[in-house]
Amino acid sequence: MPTFEVEGKKYDVDEDGFLQEPDLWTEDVAKDFAKSESIDALTDGHWKVINYIRNYYLQFGIAPMVRKVCKETGYKLSEIYQLFPSGPAKGACKLAGLPKPTGCV
Amino acid sequence: MADADEGVKPANGKPETKLLDELEKGPWPSFVTEIKSAQGVTGGAEDLLGQLELSYEDKVSHWKHGGLVGVLGYGGGVIGRYSDVGEQFPKVAHFHTLRVNQPAGWFYTSEALRTISDIWERHGSGLTNMHGSTGDMILLGTTTDHLEATFQELTHAGFDLGGSGSAVRTPSCCVGMARCEWACFDAMKLCYDLTMAYQDELHRPALPYKFKIKCSACPNDCVAAIARADLSVIGTWKDDIRIDQAEVANYATAGVDIQKDICANCPTRCMDWNGKELNIKNRDCVRCMHCINAMPKALRPGVEKGAVILIGAKAPILQGALLSSVLIPFVAADELLDTLKELIQRIWDFWDEYGTNRERIGELIQRVGLAAFLDGIGLDPAPEMVSAPRDNPYIYYQPAKEDEA
Amino acid sequence: MTTTPLQPRLTDVGPPRYDKYLPPIVLKNYGTWKYHETLAPGVLCHVAESGDRLYTVRGGTPRLLSIQTLRKYADLADKYCGGYLRFTSRNNVEFLLTDPAQIEPLKQELALLGIPVGGTNNAISNIVHTQGWVHCHAAATDASGLVKSMMDALIDHFTHEDLPAKLRIAVACCLNMCGAVHCSDIAILGVHRRPPKVQNDLLTKACEVPTLVASCPTGAIRPVPGVGGKQSVEVLEEDCMYCGNCFSVCPAMRMADAENDGLSIWVGGKVSNARSAPRFSRLSIPFLPNNPPRWPEVIEAVTKIVDVYRGEARKYERVGEWIDRIGWPRFFELTGFEFTRYHIDDFKNAGMTFARSTHIRY
Ligand code: SF4
Ligand code: SF4
Ligand code: SF4
Ligand code: SF4
Repeated sequence: MPTFEVEGKKYDVDEDGFLQEPDLWTEDVAKDFAKSESIDALTDGHWKVINYIRNYYLQFGIAPMVRKVCKETGYKLSEIYQLFPSGPAKGACKLAGLPKPTGCV
Repeated sequence: MADADEGVKPANGKPETKLLDELEKGPWPSFVTEIKSAQGVTGGAEDLLGQLELSYEDKVSHWKHGGLVGVLGYGGGVIGRYSDVGEQFPKVAHFHTLRVNQPAGWFYTSEALRTISDIWERHGSGLTNMHGSTGDMILLGTTTDHLEATFQELTHAGFDLGGSGSAVRTPSCCVGMARCEWACFDAMKLCYDLTMAYQDELHRPALPYKFKIKCSACPNDCVAAIARADLSVIGTWKDDIRIDQAEVANYATAGVDIQKDICANCPTRCMDWNGKELNIKNRDCVRCMHCINAMPKALRPGVEKGAVILIGAKAPILQGALLSSVLIPFVAADELLDTLKELIQRIWDFWDEYGTNRERIGELIQRVGLAAFLDGIGLDPAPEMVSAPRDNPYIYYQPAKEDEA
Repeated sequence: MTTTPLQPRLTDVGPPRYDKYLPPIVLKNYGTWKYHETLAPGVLCHVAESGDRLYTVRGGTPRLLSIQTLRKYADLADKYCGGYLRFTSRNNVEFLLTDPAQIEPLKQELALLGIPVGGTNNAISNIVHTQGWVHCHAAATDASGLVKSMMDALIDHFTHEDLPAKLRIAVACCLNMCGAVHCSDIAILGVHRRPPKVQNDLLTKACEVPTLVASCPTGAIRPVPGVGGKQSVEVLEEDCMYCGNCFSVCPAMRMADAENDGLSIWVGGKVSNARSAPRFSRLSIPFLPNNPPRWPEVIEAVTKIVDVYRGEARKYERVGEWIDRIGWPRFFELTGFEFTRYHIDDFKNAGMTFARSTHIRY
């Protein structure tokens, strides 16, 4: 199984770098994973999105639909992409420790 | 064909591909030969061949469940693929695919093809699909570290990625006015204009599920819009079929049995041939194209051209397959772009409000009913939208609205 | 090989403008084509109001093309067509010529390269298909190999216009059906026949249980408590019809099963509005085994359908229209395919397909 290493810490991840045990998520995970998603430092804006996604996931067991993320955080989609350059699915969900959203089909 | 001994010998470490080699025989051009011819590029093709041979032996796919990779700023356009036998075939352990938005009508110059080929030689397996089922050019197989570089070389060469995931999928269209005398609107231009209008929605998935747009410029529907597109734009005309009686007579002389082959096959029996003259009761004509297809020199669509807008086609998953159904019976050709943009926005607003995750627009309409959908997007019901009015009396009268009126 | 991206970074440039790669004769006559005629199978001549003539030579491709082959196409386009060519919605390549004297030399060169010319009018055009084992995780069969084997068997109907009407064949390797498979004269569809095997350890890591439960068209998936207090699911096997959609949303629902996966064959669909309305294909054979590399059972069945159709249908009748006229009982009789309980629909709206008249042919 691939691992993701940062400052001596090791995380079990899948090929795309998603955390394998969503329960093991802590705020450190988001901080540690940020660099790999081309984010220099996590701002309040990032946390607003991450926390919303994380809480939604804990409550409903699924990732919120993208439009819902925009509505609830007040960010336009373009702003979400500015915060998370690899996008809400690949970027924000990964930092929030969600399982990998399903692909193309 | 090499003789048996040579055929199975692993030359310079290349995998044995006994089963696939079978598929190099026979008259139809072989995809196995194509894969082999790309073996020099990065080695990806070589290992693809090895893994595929294994699938032919095992009768199962050796790709893992889809990956999630991409380029910065986009939420789609790249399909992640990982092998489940990556140790055996390391060069396809990561083998991602880029969808590249095709030029309208799939026209290329030799220079454009070479540009793409060169980019894909530098950054990928050298294998492509011309084209994928949605219409994109498919660049098959590369690693994550090459995605960004490939993407930038593509955009600098005037190409861009197509759609994937819960987004507008790459619109596609028939050849239309570029080479077809039957085109009732400019499908290539409309397709291009819509694609440009929805770059954001195409590259950054934000819809409940995928949304496909296809434009066929006449009822022959060469891009299968009615079967595959959530929004199908299919050309038609309002006025009379143009007839060149002299050419009709020429077809008759040349052996076409006008009565039997043409008139008797007309679905509404609105044609009549008296041996000299072909008469069409245009009011009854449903613009099916049969007679025009059969006698292209003699018959042509009318001049008052436009399109029918249909909605909701999809493959079986989840609630069963659907063909698109009529939403607007006629929009004049020069009003198509504006009408569609406005309509699409209303459809998306409704879908956004009522659609559930991974629910196609056709399924949503099935669930809430076409009448409620029409109310929601502000369209009046029209008899063209149904094959027949309802035959059951379970009518949801609307007491509140009736009282108001 | 460099992976350093070019600067400045460009995004959202969109596809090439729609008229960027059009040959001059097309630009000049855009929207003013008058009629066309077929000079030979695979060779069309489009005549414009201006009197200009554009010649098209259509060749079959395997869809999966190497850049070496693309460069060959480019060389041919340079030599014969001023550098212009296009592809069709059914994976054919079309060379666009202005000089009719170049048609024969081009055809000869195509023949040398093993590229068959045809696919026009009442011929079998190229088979549209999906990724299969070449590049998809969901595939119950391979698409490219099936297509190659079928086209080897049917190539004479590609190079000759010898059928009652056009005949469109399509392959999809699972029920997701990327492509308009379900509206084809003949459709070959990869199927599973066993319920998913739930891999619990993977499920808790990689899947959203509510999404998974909602993904099942028949409601066969139920949440149950799993190991360590986490949610897992169970499959009510008698309710499963093996569609594989659960696997689409969750890798832990493994569907692939070497011995039980295979093919089904569907007939009589169409998308064109000519004569009769567009319609779905109907089940003809519920299951044939996966038998790579050449799938002889499938080839035999498809060839049978084509032969019977060719012998029985009237001019202009598509497969579905022909069956409308002769009736399904006769279709099964003529092809020798068995009619089974699987042919009777039992999903939603199934009752719409029961015969509710005494219109029976004896
Ligand atoms: S759909 Fe109609 S207009 Fe378009 S290419 Fe086909 S026949 Fe021509
Ligand atoms: S287009 Fe179709 S409906 Fe109209 S006259 Fe011709 S055959 Fe009849
Ligand atoms: S039809 Fe199914 S198996 Fe084939 S490419 Fe599409 S999703 Fe994959
Ligand atoms: S294969 Fe289809 S029917 Fe069976 S459990 Fe999965 S989703 Fe349900």
